[in-house]
Amino acid sequence: MTESARHEVLRDEPGAAVCLLGNLAIVRGALEAGVQFVSGYPGTPASEVGDTFARIARDADVLFEYSVNEKIAVEIAFAASLAGARSLCSMKHLGLNYAGDPISTLPYVGVEGGLVIVSAGDPSAITSPNEQDQRHFTRFLYYPIFDPSTPDDAHRMTRTAFSLSEATRLPVILRPTTRVCHVGGMVELGPLPATRNTVRFTKNPARYVPIPVNARRMRTELIERYAQAEALLAESGFFPRAGTGRHGIVASGAAHAYLPEVIEALGVEERVSRLQIGAYPIPARVLADFLDSVDAVLVLEELTPFVEDWVTLAAHRQGRLLPIHGKRTGLLPEAFEYSPELVEDAVRAFLGLDQRVVRPVPAPELPPRPPVLCPGCPHRTSFFRVRRVFGKNTVYTNDIGCYTLGYGEPLHACDTLLCMGSSISQASGIARATGKRTVAFIGDSTFFHSGLAALANAVRQNDAITVCILNNFVTAMTGFQPSFTTDPTDGLGPAAASVRALSLERAVRGLGVDDVWSVDPFEETPTLAALRAARTGAGVNVVILSAPCAVEGKRGGRREPRPPFAIDPERCNACSLCVRTLGCPAIVVADGRYAIDPALCDGCALCAHVCQQDAIHPVPEDDDRN
Amino acid sequence: MTTETDPRATRPRGLRILIAGTGGQGVVLAARLLTAYFVRRGHRVVSGQLHGMAQRGGSVQSTVVVDGGSSPGLRRGSADLVVGFEPVETARAIPFMAPDAVVFMNTAPVMPYVLSQQYVHGRKDAAYPDVRGLAASIREATPQLCAFDATELARKAGSARSLNMVMLGCLIGSGCLGVGPEDFQETVLATAPSRLAERNQRAFLAGVAVGRGERHTENR
Repeated sequence: MTESARHEVLRDEPGAAVCLLGNLAIVRGALEAGVQFVSGYPGTPASEVGDTFARIARDADVLFEYSVNEKIAVEIAFAASLAGARSLCSMKHLGLNYAGDPISTLPYVGVEGGLVIVSAGDPSAITSPNEQDQRHFTRFLYYPIFDPSTPDDAHRMTRTAFSLSEATRLPVILRPTTRVCHVGGMVELGPLPATRNTVRFTKNPARYVPIPVNARRMRTELIERYAQAEALLAESGFFPRAGTGRHGIVASGAAHAYLPEVIEALGVEERVSRLQIGAYPIPARVLADFLDSVDAVLVLEELTPFVEDWVTLAAHRQGRLLPIHGKRTGLLPEAFEYSPELVEDAVRAFLGLDQRVVRPVPAPELPPRPPVLCPGCPHRTSFFRVRRVFGKNTVYTNDIGCYTLGYGEPLHACDTLLCMGSSISQASGIARATGKRTVAFIGDSTFFHSGLAALANAVRQNDAITVCILNNFVTAMTGFQPSFTTDPTDGLGPAAASVRALSLERAVRGLGVDDVWSVDPFEETPTLAALRAARTGAGVNVVILSAPCAVEGKRGGRREPRPPFAIDPERCNACSLCVRTLGCPAIVVADGRYAIDPALCDGCALCAHVCQQDAIHPVPEDDDRN
Repeated sequence: MTTETDPRATRPRGLRILIAGTGGQGVVLAARLLTAYFVRRGHRVVSGQLHGMAQRGGSVQSTVVVDGGSSPGLRRGSADLVVGFEPVETARAIPFMAPDAVVFMNTAPVMPYVLSQQYVHGRKDAAYPDVRGLAASIREATPQLCAFDATELARKAGSARSLNMVMLGCLIGSGCLGVGPEDFQETVLATAPSRLAERNQRAFLAGVAVGRGERHTENR
C-alpha cells in the first residue's frame, strides 16, 4: 500500500464519522462526486486542496496539475470539462481575479462535465493584501456560489456543486473562508463512486465558440440557466431553518457557525428563528417564507452587506416593511472577520438584552511575534547583498511571496507591493517616471505566474530596471508546493514526478534580456560582481539568485545540514551590527549580551561575514545541538 | 430577560482545550493528536486556530472542542484547559481562560525576535517579560496553574523537539481529560514513525509524571 492510499480522504467507509480539515472535506466531496481532473495555483487558505490532490492523484485516478497561474488553471479545467470530465480548480480569492478573463465568458459557453471553482476567502486579510468578497460574482457573472459554514457544509456542498453544474451547465464557485478551510470538523463519509463520466470531446462549434452571433444566443440562455440554478438551490437543503421565534436571524459562513452556541448561551431559543444562507442566488421563495414568519431581521455575514441587501430587496418586493439590522444600520462592522463576541453583542442588541458583561482579566504587556524570514533564508542574504550594491536610495519594488518579509527593519527591501507579478511592472513605471534605475524582487513561482509578460513589456520599452529573481526552487509561503523551477525528482508530491523543471535563465534570455547573471547568493564574490555590473548596466538586466529554501531544502535533503554558529563573548563588543543589518531570529540579545540560539541557527554564515570583530564562528561538530 | 452576570451560567456544553505556542513547537500536531484520540473514542470534535501564522515563528493558538457544537472559534472566558508551550504565548491566552480553567505552562521562553530589534534601536528596556510575573497574571485569571520547564524534560528525553509530547503527557497525566495515559499512547502515539516513537514515549511519560504531581514543579 502506498502512503497516499492510506490518506484519510480515500477511506472507503461510507457512513463513518471523521474529523476533516475543511480543505480536505472539499477534496473528499469532490472524490465522492467522481472528480476526474483537478488544477490550481497555491494560495492560502486554499492550499491544502491542491496539496492533497497532488498527494493522492495517482491512487484516486485523478489528473492533477499545479498550473502556472489561476487563469491557466481555470482554462485547463474548463477544457477538460468540455470533454466531459468532472473538473475542479482551486485558488485563493485573489486568484479568481487573475482568472477574470476566462471566468467572465465561461458561463456563457457553459460546461459539459461539472466544473467547480474553489476560491477561498480571507476575511481580515490574514494572509492576503485585501479581503475581497467573491460572492458578488454570482450576480455579476452568473455563477451559483456555495458559502459553507463548516467542513460538513463544504463536504456536502462540493458534492452537490458538481451535479448542479451539470444540470445547469453553469460553472459553480465554492467560497469557503479561513474559518472553514483551516478548521477540523465532523464529516460523514459518503460512498466513493463506482463509475465516473465518460470523457470524450465531441465537436460542436456552435455550442463552444462564443463569437458574437453565438454569444448573443448564449446570453439569453444564460439567464434561463441561472434561474434554473435558483430553482434547484431552493430544493438543495442548504438553507436550513431552526426555531419559530418572531425575531429572524439570517446568517452565512463563519458567522452562522458561531450562532448556535451564542443562542444557547443566552437562552433565547424560544425568541428567535434562524435561516442559514448556504448558496447564491438565494431562492426568492426561501426568503419570502422566512420573512413572512418574522417581525424583524438581523443579518450576520462577514465582509460586504451582501445577504443584507438581498434580504432588503426581497422584503421590498414582498411589500414587507420590517426592520432589517446589520452592517447598513451600523450594528455590525463591514471590515474583518466576526468573532463569537461580535455575534453575541449583535444578538443581544437585536433582542434588546443588556450588554455583555466582560470579566476583567489581567493584561500583561506582551511582545508581539510578527512573521520573519527564517534563519538561513537565502532571501536575507540576497537582500543584504543587493542593498549593499544598490544602496538605500534605490527604489525596491517587491512581490507576493516569503520575500515580502524584506519589508521594514532591518532589510528595507520592499518599497512597493501590489499583486502577483507587479514588482516588474512597478519597477518599469518608477524607472521611466523618475529616470532612475529601479530594482524589482520577485520569486521563481511568481515570476512564471505573472512576471513573464511584465518583463516582456520592460524589454520592449528598454526600461532601466534590474530584476532580481529570488529562486528558492519552491513555492514556500503557501506550504512548499513545487514551483516551475523545482526539480521533479525532488519528491514534492507524486504529481511532480511527471513534469519537468523550467530554466529561468532561458526564459529570461528568450524574452530578449541580454544581460543575465545566475549566481548563488551565498557566494559573495560572483554575486557582488553580478550586482555591480547590473547597477551600471543599460536597460533591462536580470540577476537570478538561486539557493534552496532554508526549510524545504534541508527537509527535502537537497542540501547538507550546516553546523550552527556561535558568538564568542570574549570578542563580541556588542556593536549590534549583526542584528541591525540582518534581522535573523536566531540572534538573540538579552541583558545587552549577544548570542546565537543553536536550535534556530541554520549555519548560513551571513552574520559571521558581517561581524567586524571576527566574533562569530561555527560550533565544532562534536557539540550537542540539543 | 435578565443578563446573566455569572459567567459560569453562560458556559456552553462540551470541553474546550486551547493549545498555545510559537511556530515550530508542534502545537498543531498536538491538537491533531488530541482530535484523533477523541474522534476514535466516538466524540464529535471541532478543531481550529484562533489566529496565527504557523510558520515563520509567529504565535499559534490551536483549539480542540469536544462535543461542543460547530463554532470554529472560542468565546472569551470559555477555555476549560489551556496548554501553553511558551510563557508569553500562555499569557496571550488569558482572555480565553475560563475562571476555573486548568493551565499547563512551559516556563522555557522562546525569544521574540522583535525584542532584539527593539533593543538595538534604542529601547534598552526591551526584554522578555519576567516569567514569574506572567505566572502571577495567569493565576489572577485562574488559580489552577501548573508551570514547569517542559523544554528541559524534552531535552532529557532526547530532543527539545519532543516538547509537544511532554505537554500532552502533562495534560493527560493530570486526569483533567479523564483519559488514561496508556489508552492515549495505544490509540494515537503508536502511529508515530518508529525512530521517533521511543523518544516521544519517553517525553510523553515525563510529562505524565508532572501532570500526576509525581515530579516537583516550581509554581504548583
